[in-house]
Amino acid sequence: MSDTADVLRKLAVVFASFEGRLEQTPLIRKLTRGRFAIDDYRAFLIGLRQQVKDGALWMSRAASNVDEEHLELRSRLMRHAVTEHRDFRLLEADFVASGGELAAITGAEKNIGSEALSAWMFHEASKPNPFGLLGAMWIIEGLGSIKAAEWGRLAQSRLALPDTAVRFLLYHGENDLTHIAEFEEMLGLVLPDEKVAKRIVRTAEVTARLYALQIEEIAA
Amino acid sequence: MSRDVFITGCGSYLPGEPVANDSIEDHIGRIHGRPSLLGRRALRWNGIETRHYALDSDGHAFATNAGMSAKAVNNALDCAGLGVGDLSFLATATTQGDYLVPGHATAVHGELGQRSMEIASFQSVCGSSLMAAKSAWLNVLAGEHKVAAACAGEFSSRWFRPSFYEGTALVDAKGRARAEADFLRFTLSDGAGAIVMEPEPAKDRQSLRVDFIDIVSLADRFDPCMWAGAAVENRSDISKGWAASGPLAAHAAGAIALLQDFDLLKRVIRAWVGVYLEKVDLKRILPDSVDWLLCHYSARSLREEIVSLLEKTDAMIPQQKWFSNLPRVGNVGSASIWIMLDEFLKSGRLKRGEKVLCVVPESGRALVGFMMLEAV
Repeated sequence: MSDTADVLRKLAVVFASFEGRLEQTPLIRKLTRGRFAIDDYRAFLIGLRQQVKDGALWMSRAASNVDEEHLELRSRLMRHAVTEHRDFRLLEADFVASGGELAAITGAEKNIGSEALSAWMFHEASKPNPFGLLGAMWIIEGLGSIKAAEWGRLAQSRLALPDTAVRFLLYHGENDLTHIAEFEEMLGLVLPDEKVAKRIVRTAEVTARLYALQIEEIAA
Repeated sequence: MSRDVFITGCGSYLPGEPVANDSIEDHIGRIHGRPSLLGRRALRWNGIETRHYALDSDGHAFATNAGMSAKAVNNALDCAGLGVGDLSFLATATTQGDYLVPGHATAVHGELGQRSMEIASFQSVCGSSLMAAKSAWLNVLAGEHKVAAACAGEFSSRWFRPSFYEGTALVDAKGRARAEADFLRFTLSDGAGAIVMEPEPAKDRQSLRVDFIDIVSLADRFDPCMWAGAAVENRSDISKGWAASGPLAAHAAGAIALLQDFDLLKRVIRAWVGVYLEKVDLKRILPDSVDWLLCHYSARSLREEIVSLLEKTDAMIPQQKWFSNLPRVGNVGSASIWIMLDEFLKSGRLKRGEKVLCVVPESGRALVGFMMLEAV
């Protein structure tokens, strides 16, 4: 299963089961069933911030562990980290625009799922040539391009939030097509390679489970 | 004990003449006498050009669900060179039967008459067709029956008459029906289809060997997406079903009409695709080996990113292999797959040794079924 199409297919299956798990978390159930309150939205942003803040950091660390044979991948990871490393500020601004106190989000501690997810990502990123993390990116980026805007629109309509309070979720937008195309290119930089392919899929599975745990642990 | 089971006959029944888009409301009626505002949009989305109704142009019924189902069974038996006297097992499928109780199979059997037989009723939405087919298949496979039929019938237009909406929470002060209610009125129509299964292929005609029937429900993760029996706001609380408040209050709350949540549908479509990709990944379905795809869903309604995902994962079955009569005969819910298979088989396109994959997604509470056939 070293072929790019095989890996993409396995990743799509992992993502579908991840979406199914997310649908069953108490927070997303509240959102889709119209019982989502403003406190839930703020708790949601607090829960997301930890991972968003860490995202650019583990990606930078991963880049620093990519060897000379894979410079193009290193460049991409570094660019990616630069693009995203201030995103958590946007999330904080949304939190304040939704009526929250800045100190409440900046001072919040990671929930159990965020602790596990963060520890896992940094652990993987610290390995030499941590290509498995492409699987983690598939999950987290997929969430950004497929789920974030959907959640943002639902939260906005349920809570009549101003545009300034949902920028983080809406800003990722629906750019699935470019998302898949870019991801495919990155896979092409490390595949075909049987071991790497397996590691990418496994890393996606673990990341998906821990990400869902992070959402499960968000309680308003 | 393992043996093969074959589809030896297929039949369908479509009531009346085809009805064009601009005549739909002559049959299903106009809510508070006003034409629908959403109808055109629904038709653009589903791409249906003509359909059949068991209601005449004044809205009077001239058939029943059970009657149409029985006609389809007779047609399928006839196609197999058999009669009701040969049939010992009947599995029926429908979304909404003529009665609430007893099961639809009793009504279809009653219409068929002639002999006693074993029956099984399956009620869901489109996917009930494959539930019934799987029951018939397993019964023949196990040696319980030598001639089994699976039929599916729908008379949804009856549920689209104005009285299901007028005086309910589904219609606003200006007499406009909620999108959840109105969309389906322009999507679903009437008819029935059936197949006959036997342990031997027909000697003188083409038969289809059933390789597998897989049905996957995703109700663990989704609330109802297409339903009747709960108001829009109450549908995730199963204790607030229509019978909890009684028929009059339920009707007033809009809990009796057939409803669809279109936002949820987008998520459900991704989940269906996920199940399909898993089947491909497990090599249960080999896209390259599929010669014909009969999907109770039009390729044109799949969004660009889904087609792209299918292509990039080597899972897309090219559109020239898709066969569909949905635009001409309409979306007949559970009956659609048999109505499609019937026309496909009669078109003479299928050659010996070719594989036919039937895909039946059901938005109901997110279910998808697959049936793999091979022409012998």
